[in-house]
Amino acid sequence: MTVDPAVEARIRKEQAEAPRGPAFITRRNRWPRPSGRSVNAALALLASAAVLYAAFFGAGPLPALGPAFNPVTGAWTMAGAAQVHNETLHLAGLQQPVQVSLESDGTAHIVAQTDHDLFLATGYVHARFRLFQMDLLRRQGEGRLSEVVGKAAIDRDRFELQLGLLRTAQLEWSQIAADDPSRLAALAYSQGVNDRITEAESTHQLDAMFTLLGYQPQPWTPIDSLIVKGDMTQTLNFTDTPLVIAQLDKSLGADLASEWFPVLPPNSQSPYDPGPYAPAATAPIEAMRQVTDAEAAAAADLYSRLTALPAGLVATGGASNNWAVAGFKSASGGALLAGDPHLHMTLPAIWFQLTMDSPGYHASGVSIPGTPIILIGHNQHIAWSLTDAQNQQTFFYEEKEDKAHPNQYYWNGAWQTYKTVGYDIPVLGGPTEHLTVKVSVHGPVITERGQTTSVWWAGNLPSQDLGVLLRIGQASGWQGFRDALRDWHSPTHNFVYADDKGNIGLISAGYFPLVTKGQPWLPMPGTGEYDVTGTIPFDQIPQVYNPPSGIIWSANQRQVTSDYPYYIGSASNFFDPGYRANEIHLVLSEDAANGGKLSAADMMGLQADTRDFLASEIVPVLLQALAGQTLTATESAARDLLQGWDYRMDTNSAAASVWSSFWQSYLSGTFDPWWKSRAVKIDRTEVNDALGQDLETWTLSDTRNRAFSSPGTGQRTAVDVMRSAFSTTVTGLTRRLGSDASTWTWGRVHTRVLENLAQISGLNYGPRAAPGDANTPLAAAGNPSTSGPSWRMVVDWGARSFNAIYPGGQSENPASAWYANRVNAWWNGLYAPMLTAEQASSANGAVRWGLQP
Amino acid sequence: MRVAAVFVAGVLLALGGVYLGAWWAPFIVGLAIGVAEPRSRFALPIGAIAGLASWGAMLGAAHLRYGLGLAASSLAAIMGFGNQRLIPVVLTLVVGLLLGLTGAWLGSAGRNLMAERQPAISR
Repeated sequence: MTVDPAVEARIRKEQAEAPRGPAFITRRNRWPRPSGRSVNAALALLASAAVLYAAFFGAGPLPALGPAFNPVTGAWTMAGAAQVHNETLHLAGLQQPVQVSLESDGTAHIVAQTDHDLFLATGYVHARFRLFQMDLLRRQGEGRLSEVVGKAAIDRDRFELQLGLLRTAQLEWSQIAADDPSRLAALAYSQGVNDRITEAESTHQLDAMFTLLGYQPQPWTPIDSLIVKGDMTQTLNFTDTPLVIAQLDKSLGADLASEWFPVLPPNSQSPYDPGPYAPAATAPIEAMRQVTDAEAAAAADLYSRLTALPAGLVATGGASNNWAVAGFKSASGGALLAGDPHLHMTLPAIWFQLTMDSPGYHASGVSIPGTPIILIGHNQHIAWSLTDAQNQQTFFYEEKEDKAHPNQYYWNGAWQTYKTVGYDIPVLGGPTEHLTVKVSVHGPVITERGQTTSVWWAGNLPSQDLGVLLRIGQASGWQGFRDALRDWHSPTHNFVYADDKGNIGLISAGYFPLVTKGQPWLPMPGTGEYDVTGTIPFDQIPQVYNPPSGIIWSANQRQVTSDYPYYIGSASNFFDPGYRANEIHLVLSEDAANGGKLSAADMMGLQADTRDFLASEIVPVLLQALAGQTLTATESAARDLLQGWDYRMDTNSAAASVWSSFWQSYLSGTFDPWWKSRAVKIDRTEVNDALGQDLETWTLSDTRNRAFSSPGTGQRTAVDVMRSAFSTTVTGLTRRLGSDASTWTWGRVHTRVLENLAQISGLNYGPRAAPGDANTPLAAAGNPSTSGPSWRMVVDWGARSFNAIYPGGQSENPASAWYANRVNAWWNGLYAPMLTAEQASSANGAVRWGLQP
Repeated sequence: MRVAAVFVAGVLLALGGVYLGAWWAPFIVGLAIGVAEPRSRFALPIGAIAGLASWGAMLGAAHLRYGLGLAASSLAAIMGFGNQRLIPVVLTLVVGLLLGLTGAWLGSAGRNLMAERQPAISR
C-alpha cells in the first residue's frame, strides 16, 4: 500500500503539533468551542428553570409564586371571596331547604326545618367565613402546625402531642353514644364544613392563607371539633403555677413562700357564694413544706420549657366578668344579665355570632368556629354567660424511677410500666419527626430531664361539653340549666343565668379535683398517696340561686369564703386578686341599695367601667404618706393629680399614669431587694397578682410587715417604701413624658392591639390608646394590652331586649368589609341588637342564602 | 404580518389559558412563540407581552369586578410590606411577564440551536 507523500506529510505535521498525552483529554477534541447560540440556549434554560422553580416551588420566604399570585386562582381571589350576595346554594347532605340571613354587619341567622340541617348549615356558614381559623385551631391541638409552617412550630407540636388533646378528643368521641344528639350534631356540622371545603376548592375561594402557605385543608371530622374545644380548655385551665411555687419556695424559703403565696387570699374579696357550706369528707390540706434541690431543679427545667412556648398554651390568669340582677331589683321588672368574657383579642375573633333555629333548638349568641353549638347567648326563656372559675385543674407528679426497673415507675406499692403512644410529626421542608409519649397513671410524662414529671390535667378527662351546651340551649328554666351542667367537667366555668321569670343563678360547673394529702400547689410525689381521688360533689360546688340581695357576680375571683371546707386552688395565680369582682359588687350593691333599680344601661355602663378598685384603696394611703413631705414642683403636681382623681383609668387621665407607675414602683421597691438577695429566678412580674394582694393587705393593715425591711435596705415601713416609690415614679414619668405632669395622660402610655390570628402584624388593629387596666371591669391588662372583653352581652328580660357586640368581624378575610367592622363600635362602648331570624331576614341590607339539598 | 399573527395568537392563547386556571400558560405560549418566530428580537417582546397581558388582564378584570384595593393592602401586609399595596400588584405582573419572557427565550434559543445543529447532522 502506498501513501500519497503530501497526505503523509500532513499527518506527520499534525502529530507533531498535537499536545502530548492521550488524545481524549485534549481540549479541542473533547469540548468544541461553544457557539453563541449554545450559550444563549444555556442561559435561556437557566433563566427558565429559575423562573419556573420560583413559580412552582417558591424561593426563600416567598411562596410558590404561580399558584399564590395568579389572579384567577391565587390569593387575589380573596377580593371575590369577600363579596357576599343573595344566592342559592346546593349542599350535599341537607334534608330540607335552609334559609340563611346575614345582617349588614355579618351576623348570621340560620333557620332549618330539621336539627340535622341546622348543624350542617352551621358548619357550612362557619367554614364559609372562618375555615383557615378552624384549620389553624385543629392543627394547634393536634400538633400538626409544623406540617404547614416548618420546624419553627416543632416544639409546640411536640408539647401538644405530649399533653394529649388529640388522645382526649379521640377518647371523648369514642364514648359518645351512636344516638346521642351531640354526636349527630357534630357529624352534621362536619358535613357542612366539608361541603364548604369542596365548594371553595372548586370555585378557587379557599382563604388566601391556604394559597400562600401552599396547602389544602383536609376534610373536617367531629374529632376536630372536640380538638377546638380542647384548645379553649387548655388556654383557660392548663397552668404551670405549681412549678412557679416550687421555685419560689426553694429560693425564698418555706416561711416566706407560705406567707406571700398563701392558699387563702390575704385581702378582702367578694365571693359570690357566701355559704353556709356542707362539711367536707376530706382531710384538711397540709402547710407549705420545703422543696428539695432536685424538685426545684426539675420544676425550673419544666417551667423554662413551658415559658418558651407561644402565648396561649398555658393559662396565665383569667379576666372575665358576668353578673345578673333579679327581676325585683330591675327597672324593667325582668331579670338582667351581663357577660363579657375576656380573652386574647384577635382578628378574626374567637367568636362568630349567629342565631340557630330549628324545631329542637333555638338559640342566639356566639359560637367558636369549629364547634357546632352556641357557647354564650340566650334562647326564648333563659340567658347565660360564663367566666373562668380559675380553680386548680393541673397537678404535677414526680414519678419515682429506678435504673433496675427501666421504663417503669413506682405507684401504689408496685412497679408499673409506662404506656407509650407514638406520633409522626410531618415537618415542612424537613424529615418527619417521631415522638414517643410516655403515660403514667397520672397522665403524660411532660419531662424526663432530671426528675421525670407527669401531669394530671382535668382537660385530659373526657367532658361531653357539646351535649351540655345543647341541653343548655334547650333549657327553659334553672332546673334544666343546672341539670345540664352536671356533665360539664372541664374547663370549670362560672355559668351565670337569668330567665324570663325574673330568676337568677350562678354555678361554677366543672371538676374541682380532690387531693386528700400533700401540697397540691407544688409538684407532688407520684407514688400514689397524693393522687387526685375524686371531685367535689356537684351539690357542693360553689353555686347560688335567687339570693336575697338580688344580685350575683363573678370575675374570676375565689367563689367562696374561707369557711369553704375544700381546697380548690391557692390565691397565688389560680384566682384573680378580686378587684374587678369588688368593683362590680360595689356598683351593683350601691345602685340597688335603698330600693334603687338597675337597668340594661347600667349593665352596659358597668361593662365599660374604668374605675380601679385597688387604686381607690391605696391612693388615699399614699396621699397620707406624702402629707407634710417636701416635694419638688413636679412631685407636687403629680400628688395634686392624685388628690382630685376619681380612680378611673381613662385615656385622658394623667393621674391614671401616676397611679399605674406608682404601683409598679411600689411592688418593685418592696420585693425586688428580696428577689436579688435570695437569687429568685422567677420573673417577679409573673407573680405580681399574688404579691399585689400581699402589698395591698400590708399597706392597709400591716405597715410594719417584715417584707418592707428587706436585706440590704434596713428597717423600713410601708410609708417609707411608698414615698420612695412615688419619687421614682415622678422621675420616671418626667424622663419619659416631660416635666408637665398634666400631660402624662394614660392614653400616652397605655394602648391596646387586636392581633391578627396568623401573627401578621400588618393585619393587626392598633395599637390605639386604650382605657382600663388589669383591675378595672373594662379589663386591659398589659401594655399594649392584647386581651380584654372579647364579647359583651346585656340581656333585659323585662324589656325583652338583647344587645351585644364583639371586637372584630365575622370574616377572617382581610379584604372583607366584615373583617374588623365592629371594632370601632365596640371601642366606643356601643352594642348591636341581637335580632331574631325573622327580624334579620327583613332588615335593611340583609343578604339571603337559600341552601338547597 | 407573521409577527402580528404570532402576537395576537400568543396573547389570546395565554389569556385563555390563564382564564381557565392554567396560570403557567404564558410560559407554554411563550415557548411556542419562540419556536414559531425565529427572530428573537420579536419573539421575546411578544412572549413578555403575552405573559404580562394575560395575568394583567385577569387582574384588571378582578379589580373592575370586585375592587382589589383591600386585597392588595392585605397581601402587602401578609408579605411584610405594610400598606404598600402596589408591591403585590407589581409582583403579580412581573411573574406573568417573566413566565412569558422566559418561555419565549427558551423557545427561540432552542429553535436557533437546532437550526445551527441541523447542517452538521446532514453533513
